[in-house]
Amino acid sequence: MSSNLAFATPLRSPREEQPHIEIVSTREQRRARPRVVYALVTVAGLFALFIAQLLLSIVVADGAYSISALQSQQRDLGREEKALSEQLDLLASPQNLATQAESLGMLRSSTSPAFLRLSDGAIVGEASAADGSVVVGAAGNLVANELLGGIPLVTPPADAAAVDPAVDPSVAAAAGAPTSPGAIETVPSTPGALPSPVTR
Amino acid sequence: MNNARRTKRRVAVTVLLVVAVFAVFVVRLVDIQVVRADDLNTDSLAKRSIAETTYAARGDIVDTDGNVLAGSVDRFDITAAPNVMNSFTRTGDDGVRTEVTVEQAIAELSEVTGTSVAEITEALTENPEANFAYVTRSVPLETLKKINALAIPWIYPRSNPGRTYPNGAIAGNLVGFLNTDNPGAGVELTENDCLSSTNGSSTYERGSDGIRIPGSTVTAEEAQPGGKLRLTINSDFQWYSQQTLNEDAQALGADWATLMVVRVNDGHLMAVADYPSVDPNNVDGVPTTALGSLAFSTPYEPGSTMKAMTVASLLDAGAISPTERVSVPSLLTLPSGGTIKDAFVHPDVRYTVAGVLTNSSNIGTSLLSEKLNKDARRDYMVKFGLTQRTAVGFNGESPGYVPETKNWDERTNFAVQFGQAEQTTSAQVASIYQTLGNGGVRMPLTLVEGCEWPDGTVTDLPSTEGVRAVSETAADQTVGLMENVVTQGSLSSALSIPGYRVAAKTGTAEVAEGGVYTSDRVVSIAGLVPAENPEYAIVVTFGKPDTIKTSAAVAPTFKKITNQVIKTFRIEPSTTATVKMPLTW
Repeated sequence: MSSNLAFATPLRSPREEQPHIEIVSTREQRRARPRVVYALVTVAGLFALFIAQLLLSIVVADGAYSISALQSQQRDLGREEKALSEQLDLLASPQNLATQAESLGMLRSSTSPAFLRLSDGAIVGEASAADGSVVVGAAGNLVANELLGGIPLVTPPADAAAVDPAVDPSVAAAAGAPTSPGAIETVPSTPGALPSPVTR
Repeated sequence: MNNARRTKRRVAVTVLLVVAVFAVFVVRLVDIQVVRADDLNTDSLAKRSIAETTYAARGDIVDTDGNVLAGSVDRFDITAAPNVMNSFTRTGDDGVRTEVTVEQAIAELSEVTGTSVAEITEALTENPEANFAYVTRSVPLETLKKINALAIPWIYPRSNPGRTYPNGAIAGNLVGFLNTDNPGAGVELTENDCLSSTNGSSTYERGSDGIRIPGSTVTAEEAQPGGKLRLTINSDFQWYSQQTLNEDAQALGADWATLMVVRVNDGHLMAVADYPSVDPNNVDGVPTTALGSLAFSTPYEPGSTMKAMTVASLLDAGAISPTERVSVPSLLTLPSGGTIKDAFVHPDVRYTVAGVLTNSSNIGTSLLSEKLNKDARRDYMVKFGLTQRTAVGFNGESPGYVPETKNWDERTNFAVQFGQAEQTTSAQVASIYQTLGNGGVRMPLTLVEGCEWPDGTVTDLPSTEGVRAVSETAADQTVGLMENVVTQGSLSSALSIPGYRVAAKTGTAEVAEGGVYTSDRVVSIAGLVPAENPEYAIVVTFGKPDTIKTSAAVAPTFKKITNQVIKTFRIEPSTTATVKMPLTW
């Protein structure tokens, strides 16, 4: 007769897991949850807007710079144009034209005036050949233009005859017919001065 | 328990520290924004914000076709700011950065502008605290480009338009010139209200390194450009007139000469040439007597060109008829004992009015004048414009002088009718011939066509009101009589132009000096073309010629100018034949 009062209880398996208890969300709760996609789209949209604004402001600033550059260019070109107009007005002055015409061998006529009427081709007045008087005469252009000094005289092409000595020898000699090689004559700026060669 | 206390202490310390730092900031803030605010504001503004005057262009002076006689051109003043003047770094084309000192920059500036280093240094160091100093003024675009290329940060070029006269001495006597900034003579002076521009003002801001802050310019007032002044002058014809007058005056050895061409129907001046005269680009190149216009300013005894006015006056008053006959002795003795002589010795001769004019007989004129009382004769002179300035009102214009009738002695009584004992200007003589050519109506002599403003309005329009001096019949008869001078007179070969009818009157006036008549003469020819229906009056005068002392000296010039008038203004040849009147009876 044993008097063992201990008794064996059944062993539990050590690998027997604890019951895993999980709260399962109901369908309503699942439906109520916001979807990730929406969040991603919103954030991406924000970034896109942000970048777009950045790009636009870069472009605008760039445009402003090119406007500024073009305005500068316009102003500079306008100034160039005015400087060239200044020179053109000078070259168009009658003193220059008369001296250049003389240098090209043109003649001034003091004979009585005659007109060619274009409507019917009639000659009005008594026409006669140019009497060979020179444009500015032996004394040169006598109407001063201080701004003109240094403009080279136009010379006739080399094969054309120089001012005919028989017409007015004193003028041909005094006006310095441009036959001397290497010396470029210039329009005189003071009255009565003979055309002067450009010195170098 | 301990934990809680420790935590509370840490929190308290942190809060205290934060408050302390905050307090420092507040004190500093109050100090700057409240205590020193005004001083700091003024300081910074003075360093940053610069006021400047902006300039607009002065109005152009143009001829009747728009050719520029006086214009504005781009010129630039180079200014500097001495208070920010420092050395700076310049990046070369190859990327190399070089340090440029102030002295080096000044040397570079001197080389480009032509002003000496000493001058520039003095200008910049005179007042080191100044915001503003001139380096040089009025440089052209080329120089500006070179200065910009130097890229000196404390240099500020400014636009300040300059004046140029691209046609030089053409109408230089009329246009005038500027003395530095103010008008000195001519139309530049008298029409300054039209031409002058109004300055504007603007402010801009500048950083401490001297660079102008872009976009900071605020224009307080826009600068207003001047109006464009249009003259009646034809510049090509004016050149021809000046060239011919200069050539012939020099050939004759004359002291002075004038040439005027007036359009008869409205009194507009086509050309006014003076010898000597000035090139406004080079005012110092001529003596001061040549700076104005002698045609307006210098009166002289005109001589026989006045006989045409006398004849017209007598015809209008009905005192004589165009075929009047007079017996002219070789010498006219006055009751007081004085004598009146003709230019050449002749026996007693029977002249018609045409003969008196063609032979320019002083005695004949005197005998004809006796038929009208002196007050009436002087009234006619006033109606023809004598003793008054012309409507041009030129700078320094003279009204001439005809003595009051109560002061006429026996000699003056006759002498004023043939152009002695009285003084006129060339402008007045031109006006008389304009009147004769315009059927007896004296139009206001006009030089300025108008002032054209940028907004399109035109001001300063000339008057078109004429004054009737003599009837149309009297004027036309006088012109017809004057034609005989050209067709039958002693200078007819020199004055005739084939195909055209020209009327003219010669004049050889004695010159008085110190109350005594000398051997000098003022020779002139005044005329009208075409004689059958005059369009232009031409007056050529040479003062004290040396080589030829009669009006024969003037004939070649008169003919050349008349030819040029015909060509320039397209006058058709005369279709009617000249009427040659008998000179004697």
